[in-house]
Amino acid sequence: MSHRVLSLFAAIILAGLSLRAQVAVNSATFGMMEARVLGPGSMSGRITSIEGVAADNGRTLYVGTAGGGIWKTTNAGASFKPVFDKYCQSIGAVAIDPKNPKVVYAGTGESNMRNSVSIGDGLYKTNDAGENWMRIGLDSTEHIAKIAIDPSNPATLYVAAPGPLWSDSRHRGLYKSTDAGKTWEKILYISEQAGCADVSIDPSNPQVLYATTWEFRRLPYLFNSGGPGSGIWKSTDGGRSWKSLEKGLPAKPYGRVALALAPSAPQNLLAIVESEKTGLYISADGGENWKQQSASLNVVSRPFYFSSLVVDPKDAKRVYRPAYSFAYSSDGGYSFAEAGSEGASVHADHHALWINPNNTDQMYLGTDGGVFMSLDRGGNWFFLQNLPVGQFYHVDVDRRKPYRVYGGLQDNGSWSAPSASPGGIGVGEWKELYGGDGFWVVPDPTDEHIAYAESQGGDVNRVDLRTYKSVSIRPQPGSTDGKLRWNWNTPIATGKAEPRHLYVGAQYLYRSTDQGRSWQKISPDLTTNDKKKQEQENSGGLSADVTSAENHTTIFTIAESPLDKDLVWVGTDDGNLQVTTDGGASWRNVAANVAAAGLPAQTWVSSVEPSRFDRNIVYATFDNHMYGDHRTYVARSTDMGATWTLLKSPEFTGFAHKMREDPVNRHLLFLGTEMGLFASIDGGAEWFRMKNNIPWMALVRDIQIHPVTHDLVVATHGRGILVVDDITPMRVMDKALLDKELHLFGMPSLTLSSGQFGGGGTVNGGYSAPNPPGLPAFQYYLRDRLSSGGVRVEVLDKDGKTVQSIPGTARKGLNKVYWNQRIQPPKTASGSTKRDIAAFFAPQVLPGDYTLRVKLVQKEHTTPLRIVHDPASTFTEVERRLRHAAAMDLYRMHEDLAAIVADIMSRQKLLKDSLAKVPQERKKKALQAEVDQLESLRGELIPTKQTSIFADETRLREDITEVYVAVCSNEQAPTNLQLERVKVLRGKVDDARRKLDAMAAGKDARGQASR
Amino acid sequence: MKSTATMLVALALSVSAIAQSADEVIDKHFDAIGGKDSWRKVTSMKMEATVSTQGMDIPITVYQVHNKAMKQEINVMNMVGYVIMTTEGGWNFLPFMGQTAPEPMTKDDLEVGKEQLDIQSELLDYTAKGHSVELLGKEDVDGTECHKLKLTRKSGRAATYLIDTKTNYIVRTISKVMANGQEVDQTQNFSNYQKQPFGILVPLSMENSGLPAPLLISKVEINPTIESSVFEVKK
Repeated sequence: MSHRVLSLFAAIILAGLSLRAQVAVNSATFGMMEARVLGPGSMSGRITSIEGVAADNGRTLYVGTAGGGIWKTTNAGASFKPVFDKYCQSIGAVAIDPKNPKVVYAGTGESNMRNSVSIGDGLYKTNDAGENWMRIGLDSTEHIAKIAIDPSNPATLYVAAPGPLWSDSRHRGLYKSTDAGKTWEKILYISEQAGCADVSIDPSNPQVLYATTWEFRRLPYLFNSGGPGSGIWKSTDGGRSWKSLEKGLPAKPYGRVALALAPSAPQNLLAIVESEKTGLYISADGGENWKQQSASLNVVSRPFYFSSLVVDPKDAKRVYRPAYSFAYSSDGGYSFAEAGSEGASVHADHHALWINPNNTDQMYLGTDGGVFMSLDRGGNWFFLQNLPVGQFYHVDVDRRKPYRVYGGLQDNGSWSAPSASPGGIGVGEWKELYGGDGFWVVPDPTDEHIAYAESQGGDVNRVDLRTYKSVSIRPQPGSTDGKLRWNWNTPIATGKAEPRHLYVGAQYLYRSTDQGRSWQKISPDLTTNDKKKQEQENSGGLSADVTSAENHTTIFTIAESPLDKDLVWVGTDDGNLQVTTDGGASWRNVAANVAAAGLPAQTWVSSVEPSRFDRNIVYATFDNHMYGDHRTYVARSTDMGATWTLLKSPEFTGFAHKMREDPVNRHLLFLGTEMGLFASIDGGAEWFRMKNNIPWMALVRDIQIHPVTHDLVVATHGRGILVVDDITPMRVMDKALLDKELHLFGMPSLTLSSGQFGGGGTVNGGYSAPNPPGLPAFQYYLRDRLSSGGVRVEVLDKDGKTVQSIPGTARKGLNKVYWNQRIQPPKTASGSTKRDIAAFFAPQVLPGDYTLRVKLVQKEHTTPLRIVHDPASTFTEVERRLRHAAAMDLYRMHEDLAAIVADIMSRQKLLKDSLAKVPQERKKKALQAEVDQLESLRGELIPTKQTSIFADETRLREDITEVYVAVCSNEQAPTNLQLERVKVLRGKVDDARRKLDAMAAGKDARGQASR
Repeated sequence: MKSTATMLVALALSVSAIAQSADEVIDKHFDAIGGKDSWRKVTSMKMEATVSTQGMDIPITVYQVHNKAMKQEINVMNMVGYVIMTTEGGWNFLPFMGQTAPEPMTKDDLEVGKEQLDIQSELLDYTAKGHSVELLGKEDVDGTECHKLKLTRKSGRAATYLIDTKTNYIVRTISKVMANGQEVDQTQNFSNYQKQPFGILVPLSMENSGLPAPLLISKVEINPTIESSVFEVKK
């Protein structure tokens, strides 16, 4: 063994030792800081695959999404649960074993090859209907279009892998497994440029296979669909040999081919062939001969993006073409019509259709805007508003209370919603500000009625948030500017140092100080202006596709320093990183300096984050996936861009989109990538993946930290908006703290409140996000999970008396316990046939000095707790004290009444015991009379007759409760009549005591007299 | 460099060599909670517990006779109700929910409830009981590394057991219960394991996905005499 290996071995051992000595920071450290999934379900997101369990009559469905994993319903769509949260979120295909529906395969990496498509990491399988998944290979295929399972022998399956979109690859083609996915063989391979896009098995003879191959490629600035590698293939020996099908088909080259087979008559094939004569072709003899049918708009539209063609399972003539819109044919594809709809308006752009084979009227359609269900063969549709899989590009927040979030989504416009709302944030709370594809939506920090929104390619608008009327403010080129080049996702930014600054970028940077009414061009062309990257008019390949998605050599990100209004950073999609320190008068390109740190040339600058602590510090993220490089590039400069350091971590996965520095703790950093959200508490030296109710591989596009609420607001491209409420604990946790067995977090003061909202209940129908906790939590940290011994969190008054004691959680990391700021409820009178809600209510504590204590078995920590009245609340502190006094009067009344009733019942018990013992009839009668007299009093004090909860038997206890509950709950001083009522009820309680005492005295008198 | 690779391979091999089987995990678990023999001696149990919310304390008394009967007595605002499950049938009487007389359990509840009559743990001698177990690997449960075991009961209904790799205590179970013919997950978290008679360890804190606050057990009696009248349904 060489010395070198020895030292490596020692290093491993030492690393192990030091790991043991030091508590690792990871997601569990902040265990209970879980993300609130804001959703919404209002516009949902792109659906790529829908498969149902036929044996279950379509109640169980798996829905694969473009960036939100897999969702499962067991009730035909009434509710969904995500079942793929630990894995790659981009789903290309799902397939269910026809003989054992607990076995499901999922191919990651969507194959609708648009510019923003994500990337997969292989094929997964579950044997227990989605509870546990394992990756079973094809890790480098990046995109999987279809999985076909042999219906007669489900251990045989085929996977069509188009393969990487942005690079050559040997990992394309059609794969076959004959052992249920354990091993794989590539059975159809064309070239490093052409993969397999579709596969079908003839159910009547599973040795007969049909497949299509597809040659395609994207560059950052161009898309091509079509080439000599595209074709249609048939095998009659289970894939050992293939022949090209051509007779009657158009002349090659082809682009993408969508192929379908009629399950009820498998000799009948249909294919939409992208070519110089794109159209639908059909064959009635297993593909030997073809003839052309419809070439209607929906049939021929965007073949690279719309690859679905579905034949009714029972009716070979009924053909569906879900594409730009939903078209059907009743004559085998000769003619197509589009169904009208009186139900939901179906979102455009369709990628999946599942027809229930037992009831072919019922179908589920996957679109760019969620799942739609029809019970009449697509005539009318229900929209399933319960799938929160929106694909946001960016998110922003304003300063309202509660604050609003703003963001733009892929094919779903620009939206805004409150971060909290009475009853929860339902689908109706989300409002669409602007249409098209949405990207940046930026609220004006100087005017709460204004936000800036856009659609693709620089269509920037100022939107009035009261009316949603918009004004186009896109800068226009001057006479010498040439054509303006706007990115698909054109940056809009407001000033962090000068909030009146509004920036947008084409190849030039524009600045306005009057909400876009006038603009100044404050830069020369900041891009490389490489002409060969500007030929977007030729984009698409066989079918022209020019939508601004390939616009290139443009500005992609803009950031004004929070410390200096003249210090502005700009990043471009072709690798330039430019900075001005004089408000745009002069610019410096630092791209070469980042390259010196190891960044490949021309890498897309995805975000820039100038520090708010030091004007020389700046962070940037870079995305090179469009050149086939998926590595995570994050860099920091501490000298305003002269030199850079790449921040690295073995935890990182996915190309980087966004870096965010915490506004309070300069060492706390967040990074969003195509495959996860990461955080560092030590300035980027070590990173961990945030899994706090966040999909582990979430596509994180943008990150905000709210300046007032300290919420971490995350835009995902497939799981909507996620909010981690109040990240303050992340700011104070350092390594020293983490080594402590127990740490109790103090709070500067606790403001009395009865929560943010009232209202009658929660929002019903569609996805509804929960509100943040209405009251702040007590927080403590446990280094290890507590296996034996409990935890209690207690509030003590200034005399050390326990005001409230709450069982705490025992999990490793951060624990949270919520206190309702109230004392223990009164002991109310028992023995009634009805329950009394006063037992649920307690007076709120008064402002003052208290102590917070957390108790473990042999350890306790305390911290002073100052409880204060909120001067902004609807009542004064004097009124609060009046309320407390009245509430406590009523509280004592309840406890006094409980004692009286208990007294009555114990006397009754004694009497009944004697009753059983005394033989004399006369004495029996007297005793019974006493029991009855007591019972009559008891019956005045509490309900003793009615047992139904719908019977309103009201006695003294209920009278006290009515006022008590009102006084306890109201945020105001007691009313005059409530106060009078307190006196009246006190009189009644005292009367009852007197009556009982009199009865007892009478009995005693009789007892003495009879002696 | 070749020797480095060889060493890493050797490390990987040693890791797989110490990989455990499901039975080893279960054995270690029983060693940690008092031993299989001790658990086999448990024939009845009585527990006093409280669900403590800040609004109110709800005392619960649980009576269990192994493989025969179970009763939970629940006291809400001094109104006492119960849930009874025996090999004969199941009943619930919850007057604080407005019930005026005991009502029979649904077939779904009965099927699941009967599986819970095994108080010695369904992992004990599971093969003899007709269950099967599969070790699915390791999983992080709120920061604690756990073995993930899948138990498939004789009925076909599955449950997931997450067992702390350090303490070998059960940290969490995820069990299938039935609601209107459909399977629904019920999650329970366990902590505060404490020693009882026979040396067995019982978790005194249980968090159930259906309860607003943890169930805290204050007293456990092992093998008390429980009269059969306890399980009588008074109509």
